[in-house]
Amino acid sequence: MDRCPQPNCFADDNTTCTLGHIRLDMCPEWKRVSKGEVTASSDSDQMLLPWGGLAMGESDLNFVSGKVKPITVGIVGPESAGKTTILGALYLLLGRGALTTGANFFSNSYTLAGWEAVATCMRWKPGQPPSFPPHTPSGAARAPGMLHLGFRREDGSLRNLLFADAPGEWFQKWAINEQALDAEGARWIARHADVTLLIADRQALAGPKMGAARNDFQLLAQRAMAESRGRRLALVWTKGDVDVAPTIEAQIRKAVASVLSSTPEFTVSVYPRGTVDAAEGFRELFGWVLGTKRVGVDLPMTKAFRHDPLFRFGRR
Amino acid sequence: MAAQHTILLVGESNVGKTHYGAQLLKRLMVKECALKMSGAPTNLDAFTKALSCLTEGRSTDHTPATTYLESVWPITDEASRNAELVWPDYGGEQVRNLVIQRRIPTAWRERVLEATDWVLLIRLHSLRSEDDLFSRPLQSFAAAESQAEAAAYEPSDQARTVELLQMLLYLAQLHLDWPLRKPSLTILLSCWDELETTELPADLLASRLPMLWAFVRSNWISPTVIGLSALERALSKTDADQEYVTRGPEEFGYVVLPNGVKSTDITLPIQRLMADGSPS
Repeated sequence: MDRCPQPNCFADDNTTCTLGHIRLDMCPEWKRVSKGEVTASSDSDQMLLPWGGLAMGESDLNFVSGKVKPITVGIVGPESAGKTTILGALYLLLGRGALTTGANFFSNSYTLAGWEAVATCMRWKPGQPPSFPPHTPSGAARAPGMLHLGFRREDGSLRNLLFADAPGEWFQKWAINEQALDAEGARWIARHADVTLLIADRQALAGPKMGAARNDFQLLAQRAMAESRGRRLALVWTKGDVDVAPTIEAQIRKAVASVLSSTPEFTVSVYPRGTVDAAEGFRELFGWVLGTKRVGVDLPMTKAFRHDPLFRFGRR
Repeated sequence: MAAQHTILLVGESNVGKTHYGAQLLKRLMVKECALKMSGAPTNLDAFTKALSCLTEGRSTDHTPATTYLESVWPITDEASRNAELVWPDYGGEQVRNLVIQRRIPTAWRERVLEATDWVLLIRLHSLRSEDDLFSRPLQSFAAAESQAEAAAYEPSDQARTVELLQMLLYLAQLHLDWPLRKPSLTILLSCWDELETTELPADLLASRLPMLWAFVRSNWISPTVIGLSALERALSKTDADQEYVTRGPEEFGYVVLPNGVKSTDITLPIQRLMADGSPS
């Protein structure tokens, strides 16, 4: 078989045409070498796009991470603590133009359908008030679903963010046993997240099972902090409108502060608290996430033995 | 050789593509505007029906979903720059289908690759503005059980438009590493008369569709937003507007330029493309 003249296309090797043609005989590049063996009617060639719009899986990530590694944000917390609601709220604020201020402009997202799916139930619909996003199902997936957002910074460069939306069960199992079989997704997040948001559910911490909730949080915090190895981590109180006993609050802070001395803290709620707009907490949180810089690498200086720079590494 | 400006005119159904095309053509032929016709257009099939309807003071029918016609108009501007304007007319469902079906017909792909200037028509009046938790907080949440049928939903208009532009950018083989200069992007807010506003077009777009505006602003160096009222008033399909009949459709229609100045010369959005995108 002929080789496609396009240097980046390996369609002869049974991979997808790099220009996106489903039928090779419709590709103009391919036609140059294939001498018109088969000719198809022109409407049979339709092009597929490399992104589907829904949350991305591990293998789709290449499309976003091809050039620069995006900043991965892991949201770590137990079931129904409000992890997906945070994502939905961020997207709604983006849609209202209230997520970022000044220097950062929304530039692109290859998971718009995924964002819409998360946010849609938080909108008012005729005859239906908003509700919380449904429970994130925990399948046997090895990696969480990823939601993508790209922002353009003031200097014109792009910053890509990936939000990992993982079911809470993964983290509960992972907190107890780091090697738990069905916690592969939680380990994935711990390994890849540049930023970890550790969720403390105020409703659970004020509810009838507050002791268990506190205990679970302490375990999870310990695990997450051990795995974060100096990467950014923040404590995020969800359902910030609920009052929690000061002693429990202090214990939660202590659980986080025991290793890192200064863990930033954020409180979010979908209800306005007094005069504070509900959007404010989410905006602060997002501003902090967006300010993440990947830790640079310090290359060791080498000493030159001669003046000729090309022979720096020459024999002593 | 005259520079060729191939316009990629993007707009969903019912945003006024045909009406603008017909009114623009009429203005070019009357030769009282910044742009004038400098020869004979190739094929006016797409616009004859609309032109005759407007002359009678009626609005024209919906363009069939499968139609796609291009017409080449030789034009010249006040600085005697010549250009060939390739103006399409088609059923807006095609654009919506691109986003929904996510399969791109070859014809569209070629159009995108050939286009030198992109013109996006948005009719703000027909877009939904949805309330959410932040614009309209609620006292208590619905119980989780009551919304078992939450499976079906439609993406917001804003997300759909952003996705459309992302798809077009991909088809044009452009990447977003740095903001784009070419192809130029002009956003026409059509049926401006319905909006009854005195805001600047760009400000209005920013307040109504902030995510789309952020997307456009961050990915193009100088996007242009212009308000457009091709007909100046709503026309009915059956009852003739007598003033239209007596004065002629070329006396109606206006644009609101980015600086807020209202002008009756609806060729100005295209004239700007020629001035900015003069052949390098």
